[in-house]
Amino acid sequence: MANQKLDLLQGTLDVMVLQTLNAIGPLHGYGIARRIEQVSGDQVLLNQGTIYASLVRLQQRGWIAAEWGASDNNRKAKFYSITRSGRKQLAADAAHWQRISDVMGRVLAMTGEETQ
Amino acid sequence: MRTLAARIAAFFRKRELDRDLDQELAMHLDLATEDNLRRGLSPQEARREALVRFGGMEAAREHHRDARGLPWLDSIFQDVRYALRTLRRDAGFTAVALLILALGIGANTAVFSLGNVFLFRPLPVKDADRLTVVAVQSRADSDPGEVSYPDYLDYQAHSSAVFTGMTGYVPNIVGLGYRGHADRLIVSYVPSNFFSMLGIRPGLGRLINPGEGDAPKTGPVVVLGHSYWEKRFGGSPDVIGRTVSLDGTAVTVIGVVPKEFLGVFNLLEMDAYAPVGMLGFGGNSVIFTSRESHEMRVLATLRPGVSIVQAQAALAVIGQRLAQEYPNADQGQRVRVFSEPVARPEPAAADSKPLVVTVFLLMVGLVLVVACLNVANLLLARAAAREQEMSIRAAIGAGRRRLLRQLLTESVLLALGGGVGGAIVGNSIGHVMNGLRPFGDLPLRLAFAFDWRVFSYVAGVALLAGILAGLAPALRISRTDLNLALREGGRGLIGESRRHWLRNGLVIVQVAGSLILLVAAGLFTRSLRRAESIDLGFDPHHVLNVSLEPGLQGYTEPRTEALCRELLRRTRALPGVRSASFAFSIPLGYYSNGAPAVYPEAQTVSPSSHVPGAGLNAVSPDYFTTLRMRILEGRAFTDADTAASEPVAIVNQTMAERLWPHRDAVGQRFSHKAAAGPFATVVGVVRDAKTNSLLDAPGMFFYVPQTQHYQSTRVLQVRTSVPPELLAPAVEGLLRELDPSLPVYDVTSMDKALQGANGFFLFKVGASFAGALGGLGLLLAVVGVYGVVSYSASRRRHEIGIRMALGAQRIAIFRLVVGQAVLLLGAGIALGVAAALGVSRLLASLLVGVPAHDPVTFLGVSGMLMASALLACFIPAYRAARVAPMTALRDQ
Repeated sequence: MANQKLDLLQGTLDVMVLQTLNAIGPLHGYGIARRIEQVSGDQVLLNQGTIYASLVRLQQRGWIAAEWGASDNNRKAKFYSITRSGRKQLAADAAHWQRISDVMGRVLAMTGEETQ
Repeated sequence: MRTLAARIAAFFRKRELDRDLDQELAMHLDLATEDNLRRGLSPQEARREALVRFGGMEAAREHHRDARGLPWLDSIFQDVRYALRTLRRDAGFTAVALLILALGIGANTAVFSLGNVFLFRPLPVKDADRLTVVAVQSRADSDPGEVSYPDYLDYQAHSSAVFTGMTGYVPNIVGLGYRGHADRLIVSYVPSNFFSMLGIRPGLGRLINPGEGDAPKTGPVVVLGHSYWEKRFGGSPDVIGRTVSLDGTAVTVIGVVPKEFLGVFNLLEMDAYAPVGMLGFGGNSVIFTSRESHEMRVLATLRPGVSIVQAQAALAVIGQRLAQEYPNADQGQRVRVFSEPVARPEPAAADSKPLVVTVFLLMVGLVLVVACLNVANLLLARAAAREQEMSIRAAIGAGRRRLLRQLLTESVLLALGGGVGGAIVGNSIGHVMNGLRPFGDLPLRLAFAFDWRVFSYVAGVALLAGILAGLAPALRISRTDLNLALREGGRGLIGESRRHWLRNGLVIVQVAGSLILLVAAGLFTRSLRRAESIDLGFDPHHVLNVSLEPGLQGYTEPRTEALCRELLRRTRALPGVRSASFAFSIPLGYYSNGAPAVYPEAQTVSPSSHVPGAGLNAVSPDYFTTLRMRILEGRAFTDADTAASEPVAIVNQTMAERLWPHRDAVGQRFSHKAAAGPFATVVGVVRDAKTNSLLDAPGMFFYVPQTQHYQSTRVLQVRTSVPPELLAPAVEGLLRELDPSLPVYDVTSMDKALQGANGFFLFKVGASFAGALGGLGLLLAVVGVYGVVSYSASRRRHEIGIRMALGAQRIAIFRLVVGQAVLLLGAGIALGVAAALGVSRLLASLLVGVPAHDPVTFLGVSGMLMASALLACFIPAYRAARVAPMTALRDQ
């Protein structure tokens, strides 16, 4: 089971990206991908490439903004930052995930005796 | 919304965004590689690891594009690009399909345009959709036509319950003189409400005021047509207020109509408009009082909500009252109301017009159907050949929808190309039609211009054709069993019968459709031949016509007579001239004269019986010699018949028999003016001739000497022993010697003149249209049969190879292939003959001297279709028979 990583649920990547940007501030694509991997303890199966589809999607919805800037070693990189409506969306998404997580937790905590 | 806008923006900034993305991804990999190096991996390892972690580079790009742009539009472009490439690769197929569609659609455009002028396009006038034509039939069996002016006034006065207005016009050819130069114009004489009822505003100056010139001999003004104003007066506004002469009467130019208003006659643009009262100056005052003089073409606008039937019923009541009050003139008369477009160009055509247009639209629709079937069959055959390609595409993951869309894209592209080609073909046909001159020198305005209605029609038909033609093969392919198709290697021995059945069915229907077209074409062509060989009663060959109108130059009667006498004398002296004579009009020309009624002397006409009218021509002594019309009894006119001598006339057989049955007509007297005389004595009876209509039985007709019936308009007719056109310069030269200022018109041979609107024109147009459509049908059928037979022969190469390897003779193989064609053709022809027998009944009333079930036509076109299609099939049959068995077998 050790090498079996979590397959991302539909829509979760967008939330992760938003949260990452919210927590850390402006980052480039590679930075976001690395961050998610690190935070998940390398539990998430992430084709790093898929992050870019997510980024463009979020950008078109106006939840994040992009800007060309200089990276640590002074190279041109595209930096993404969360916008105000992005924060609002993140709050809504976070609440939503929290609820699902609670419900799932409760459902999975069911024991045989209780069902009778 | 916002996302959509961003996506659309992204769609158009594709290249820039792709560059950005590439930069970003490269950066990503670099950073990842650096991280890996830092973790102590070797440079290659570091790079490899970065790529692995990244996942598919191309997939990431693809996802990115899908997420940001309009993937469906992208794939449509892809489809289009791919389709264009495919079509270019199969250039032969594409060319044939485009040609078929362009011809099918082009013919449609042309006929639709023609129908547009004749039947659909509303006049540019107020309430054009409610505009009607009021016409009367003098007897139950006569064609609806013009109304007498007094009757028109009565109908107008009592019909305000059903019409918001009623007006009319009297078309006439007159001379307009200005600064010593006269033009011959087509003029509409109109009541003063003409322009206001039609909602026409002046293009320049003013139009006719209310009440102006409604009374006889009043209203000496003229409004010019736009084209004539530009042609004669250079479009100068100074013309307003100038004095010109109209048939010798001085009138003031008061205005010009707007450019888009050509008058209401549809075929001709009017040169000018004058108040109806002006007709009084020309000595034509009789039209104001006589209810027998049917001159007025009447238009009326329906009240909103009133139907044509209601309007006709209302007018019928007025008509009954008129018949009681004026039994001599109006007894037995029937009034009709037509929607204006139906009564174009003449109300006489109204009853048969919808049939004519229906027949042609049907024929053209049939061409389109056959063309579509043809293209569908081509696509189907090609689709079968591409089955393997499609299977491979499906195997590597193209969805069914994607394949369908790809094929549909191809056929819609083809159809659009065909539509554009069709519009071009149609427009060229239109230009040819515009070039026809059925009215001699008169300016014909078919106004065949390309308009949006025609275009949308073509575009709609083209798209529909493409979708229909593409759908069937596309559905078929997408249902193909992948494994089977791949295994068979595109050869297909089993499961083919159903497909063959479909394709063969299409070919059979196509052949049948073509046969119907050919039958119609054959019937019309034979009808034209019959019409041309109709006994006209005169000999039109070797006759030169030269029209002149000395009255326009102010000639008086004696001067005209002197001029004509001298011209005749000199013409007869020319070498190559057999005889020469003058007449007012030529037979079957675009104008003629008639007497509303003729009164035989000493025969009491009961008030209830109708006084018959008769055609009339004023001619000079040698007329009957020149036209070779046989005098059956009595004598021809001579130089002794002068204005001073006893009035004489020569009547045709029909008139002699009608007025004096069982009696000798020569010596009898009749009047064409009033029951009380003056009378003319019949001095001769001439054989009946086709004078007014090619098809109708000759009505009553009589001739009077020009010396006793002065009209300034006259045609010099010269019988020649050489081709008549050769003498035209010499005759015109003679006229110039006599009076250089005198213009001549319509200089042409009688044969040519007979091609005019009242002659063979409609037959010719009908026959050439039907012939062209029939030829098109034949071409399509041949291509269709050839396509299917050659395709199926190529599919059977393998089988043929085996047969030959087993000892089949070449001739047997040849027979095998041709046999298939014979079967298809036989079935198609049988079906077509059955259908044509039903359809041709529709044509019966449009044919002359040919029965609708004419066996010669049916057998002839069937044979022609069979022979030409078989000939085309010899090519694939020959090719199949030449197959080398080893090559065919090794192919697999």
